Amino acid sequence: MARKHKFDFDLIVIGSGAGGSAAATLAAHEGKRVAIVEADTFGGASPNWGDVPIQSLLQAAHLYDQARAGSRFGLRTSTVGYNYPSLLNWKDLAVKRTGAGGNRAYYEDQGITTLHGTAHFLSPHEINVNRHHYSAASFLVATGAEWKIPQIQGIESHPPLTPRDLLSQPRLPKSLYIIGGGTTGVELAQLMATLGVKVTIAEIASRLLPDYESEAGELLANLLHKQKGVQILTQTRTVQIEKENIAYRVTYNRGGHERTVRVDQVLVCAGRKPNVDLGLENAGVDYTEKGIEVNHYLQTTAKHIYAAGDVLGDITGHTHTALLQSRVAAHNILSKRAHLSPDYSATPHVIFTYPAIATVGLNEDDCLRRDLNIKKSITPLTVLARSNVSDFKNGFVKLITNKKGVLLGATIMAPEAGESIHELALAIKYGMTADQIATTPHAFLTWAEAIRVAASKIS
Amino acid sequence: MGLAVDVVKRSGKRKKEAFNPDKLQRSIHRACLSVRTPEGEAESAAKRVTHLVTLWVATKPAVTSHDIRRVVAFHLDRYHPDAAYYYLHQRRIL
Repeated sequence: MARKHKFDFDLIVIGSGAGGSAAATLAAHEGKRVAIVEADTFGGASPNWGDVPIQSLLQAAHLYDQARAGSRFGLRTSTVGYNYPSLLNWKDLAVKRTGAGGNRAYYEDQGITTLHGTAHFLSPHEINVNRHHYSAASFLVATGAEWKIPQIQGIESHPPLTPRDLLSQPRLPKSLYIIGGGTTGVELAQLMATLGVKVTIAEIASRLLPDYESEAGELLANLLHKQKGVQILTQTRTVQIEKENIAYRVTYNRGGHERTVRVDQVLVCAGRKPNVDLGLENAGVDYTEKGIEVNHYLQTTAKHIYAAGDVLGDITGHTHTALLQSRVAAHNILSKRAHLSPDYSATPHVIFTYPAIATVGLNEDDCLRRDLNIKKSITPLTVLARSNVSDFKNGFVKLITNKKGVLLGATIMAPEAGESIHELALAIKYGMTADQIATTPHAFLTWAEAIRVAASKIS
Repeated sequence: MGLAVDVVKRSGKRKKEAFNPDKLQRSIHRACLSVRTPEGEAESAAKRVTHLVTLWVATKPAVTSHDIRRVVAFHLDRYHPDAAYYYLHQRRIL
């Protein structure tokens, strides 16, 4: 006699982004009956309107910028230009080629039931999607986060653009006011300024990228201002947005003085808020406006419901972190014993500006807060032969070790920093010392040579 | 007239019904009057809160009656905290 299932599915994954997709695939490979629910475009934010589109446009803008500056190498550059609709076509092609954007068929090929609609918990084991009820033994909530609209006078009647809106527009604004100088804010500031938009960026903290090493934020601000003409407003609170004909008049407060600036458009990149409005109360899942509360095993207060990705609230917005959590959650859902917890100690963070900024482990502020005795060294890129042949001088490698020389954290600000950082991620994960890094040969004429030099200063 | 959104009743024991803003507005109005709110204020708070809850409900495929009570209490708290408390806990109070 066929076994009668107690639930419609073994696992329902809510959200098809990085936090949900890996778990759904792993569970389906284990022969479980899996459904995945997506309220927007399948694939989630990162491939559709986050990392992939921004990085593809930054790549094109960097190439344009390099070509324009090629005369110093003896190149003729007078006819270099761009066509913005063609750039958008390139971006769409890049999104399509990732395979993750709009990938509903991918799940269906693996026997995963796809449901397109908003999910809402009705009880601990039951959700409603498109007025149909579905039950499951376990759930994974990976609904991600959305851009937070700050409380500014006039913002409700004149809603600002989000990064998603900005990259969907058919033409560029002439001037842009960006609220928020974090990762996405600086990437879009550089992108827009490279394409000729007059950019003003307002950050409430005392420097751009306040969560990163101070040297990185200060150097980037300097480069954006001097090379791209970006107006950097740190310690600035935006207080009012008013419509003025087809433009906007933005009032900001800096150092106790109120000033105004007239811009074509306003972009908000001032943090993201987790998507938690899905009837979690009906399922007994505790959450705050900062995200869903989970234990070390990514289990919520309802034991059969797990959560992964940006909905957890500790928002880094990194796809690789969400993927790690998704795999761990899948393991813990599928395995009755030996629960795993995600290890974030060697998770790299990369900002795709030019030069790129990549960090791993602790930064100096983290060490100060933990009262750690540390040794640190900073090596500017100018000491490298690579800097000479590339005619590029703006950047550094900063290493932080404990007193015994064991690497605790690193920041690289250099071209291709996102590639070089993985050497240091490995070193942190396996407890390597600066001496071990310094005695490892690094190829001549690579940016990674700066890592060896920085390590040798400590060892 | 009801929205095309089902309201799942308490514990799923009773039949689900379509969301009805008029019914909601009447219940908020009654809650406000129960805590001795002046008639005009009760009417205006009920109207505003119903509008906000209707916007919220429109984004959902189905909601439970508990969801509605929770969201009404959240919005009503801004206009009348006592009425919001009463609305959220009336089953226990009565």
